[in-house]
Amino acid sequence: MSADYIVEMKGICKRFGGIEALRNVDLELRRGEIMGIVGDNGAGKSTLMKILSGAYVADEGDIYVDGEKANIRSPLDARRLGISMIYQDLALFNNLDVTRNIFVGRELVRGPFGLFVDKKRMYARAAEVIRDLRVDIKSPKMSVARMSGGQRQMVACARAIAFQCKVLIMDEPTAALGVTEANKLLGLIRNLRDMGISILLITQRIPDVLAIADRVFVLKGGQRQDVLEVSKVTLDDVVTLIVKGKDRNGGPAPEVQYKSFG
Amino acid sequence: MPKMDLSGLRKYTVLFILLGLMAFFSLASPYFLTARNLTNIVIQNTYFIIVAVGLSFVMIGGGIDLSVGYQMSLVGVITAMAMVLYHLPVWLSVLIGLVLGTLLGLINGLIVSRIRIFPLIATLATSAVFQGISYLVSKANTFRSYPPEFLFLTRGKVLGVPFDILLTLVVVIVASLVYTETTFGYRLMAVGGNEEAARLSGINTKRMKVAIYTICGFLTALATMVMISKANTTNSSFGPGTEFIALTAAIVGGVSFMGGEGSVPALVGGVFVLAVIGNGMQLAGWGTYAQFIVRGLILLGAVAFDEYQRNLRLTQQKGR
Repeated sequence: MSADYIVEMKGICKRFGGIEALRNVDLELRRGEIMGIVGDNGAGKSTLMKILSGAYVADEGDIYVDGEKANIRSPLDARRLGISMIYQDLALFNNLDVTRNIFVGRELVRGPFGLFVDKKRMYARAAEVIRDLRVDIKSPKMSVARMSGGQRQMVACARAIAFQCKVLIMDEPTAALGVTEANKLLGLIRNLRDMGISILLITQRIPDVLAIADRVFVLKGGQRQDVLEVSKVTLDDVVTLIVKGKDRNGGPAPEVQYKSFG
Repeated sequence: MPKMDLSGLRKYTVLFILLGLMAFFSLASPYFLTARNLTNIVIQNTYFIIVAVGLSFVMIGGGIDLSVGYQMSLVGVITAMAMVLYHLPVWLSVLIGLVLGTLLGLINGLIVSRIRIFPLIATLATSAVFQGISYLVSKANTFRSYPPEFLFLTRGKVLGVPFDILLTLVVVIVASLVYTETTFGYRLMAVGGNEEAARLSGINTKRMKVAIYTICGFLTALATMVMISKANTTNSSFGPGTEFIALTAAIVGGVSFMGGEGSVPALVGGVFVLAVIGNGMQLAGWGTYAQFIVRGLILLGAVAFDEYQRNLRLTQQKGR
């Protein structure tokens, strides 16, 4: 077990009914890197990441965090290991303000048995996190329901890093954003890496990956194809790998066929 | 860009409606705005407030409990029979009633969270079951003449204030604190707002659901004690109908039908809106039957208002 890797997933298999969503997948995430996770629809990107975040449990395979075998069976288990996932639909609470969103399930408490919430400390800490992230959220009391897509992403990030987060998984963070907001968010992701957080970035936007990731992990049909150093590849290389897979024999680019595992 | 703060507006809507109604009925009847009548309104509605508070836990958590009125029917006759038929001590009878009510709530909670039946249907079904058991147990008898210790609940006074009003105040204050100050209240708002996200945040949403139906059951049983003590008589028809008033009052008081929103003070305001309408219509001589129509229309109106605000927020969000 090399401790150079903050996360190692080995031989991960996952089936949903008769469908084999993941087949014997290995993944190694280096400390402090941004790794893009790419692949066609149904390639198994989200499934793989949900296994790491505890939303799903793998049928087979092992996960090592910081070189030690980890038993991740729920989102809580993952969080205790410092792994957080920001979901595509963001999983925010529209009825609550920024601070309450950040602290859901992890409220700062006081009194016997943690019976009462410590509002003062929560709002102060939320203001701190917002400041550290240098994002444009005006107040920790702002209602999330009134926010733009980009601001909501930032709340989701704040939610992840308000606690000791070592590994942050992001599912299509730029998908619903305009160009300006998407660029802001990519900047934020770089900030997060500079703060020492390792990032796994699921995306369909290959240019995003090439812009900010260190490496890119390609999945196809539930199998790992390759891991590429971003500095050594072109957009075409990545797209070809996504579409054709590893066993390409140098022939002409195939017609794109969309497959879905549903 | 200027925006109307609807949540802030909503906080006081109930109060304005209440004051408007009081002004209206004081014109419609000279007896309305008398100290005696207003005191009556408060005294007659303590148990509705307690039930509505119980129901608010379920509704804010994103559920609904239609069976509260039938829980009251069953808890009422069992408690009355314990005192009148079996001559058990008052404290034991009340304890039996409260434990039974808590269990009925627990059953609702388990059905909704474990078997995952839509709460509207689940509690509609348990309503029928509770009602049936209530009639079987009471054999449709009426029980009256409770021991004086039990009547103290509504006739006794502490420091000059009727005991049931004090009890209601305690329930209201504690529930208010639970929502605004406790970890449980914070998490309950989250579960009601987005259940799946709450689960992914590590909240045990199933246990939370069982807890809120159980709390509702306990408070409903507590309200039953007040109700039957006040009437000094009970049969199996006591209780049903309460769920409609409590539900309407909760929604009028700003507890969202979809969960995740609500406050206790506004909820109390909601109960009084309905109470003032009932009392005012009676005094103005418009009769009891017209009240049903008005209450039905109020429920429709309140739910429509709730939906309208929700849609408004959604479009606001998409408009960005």
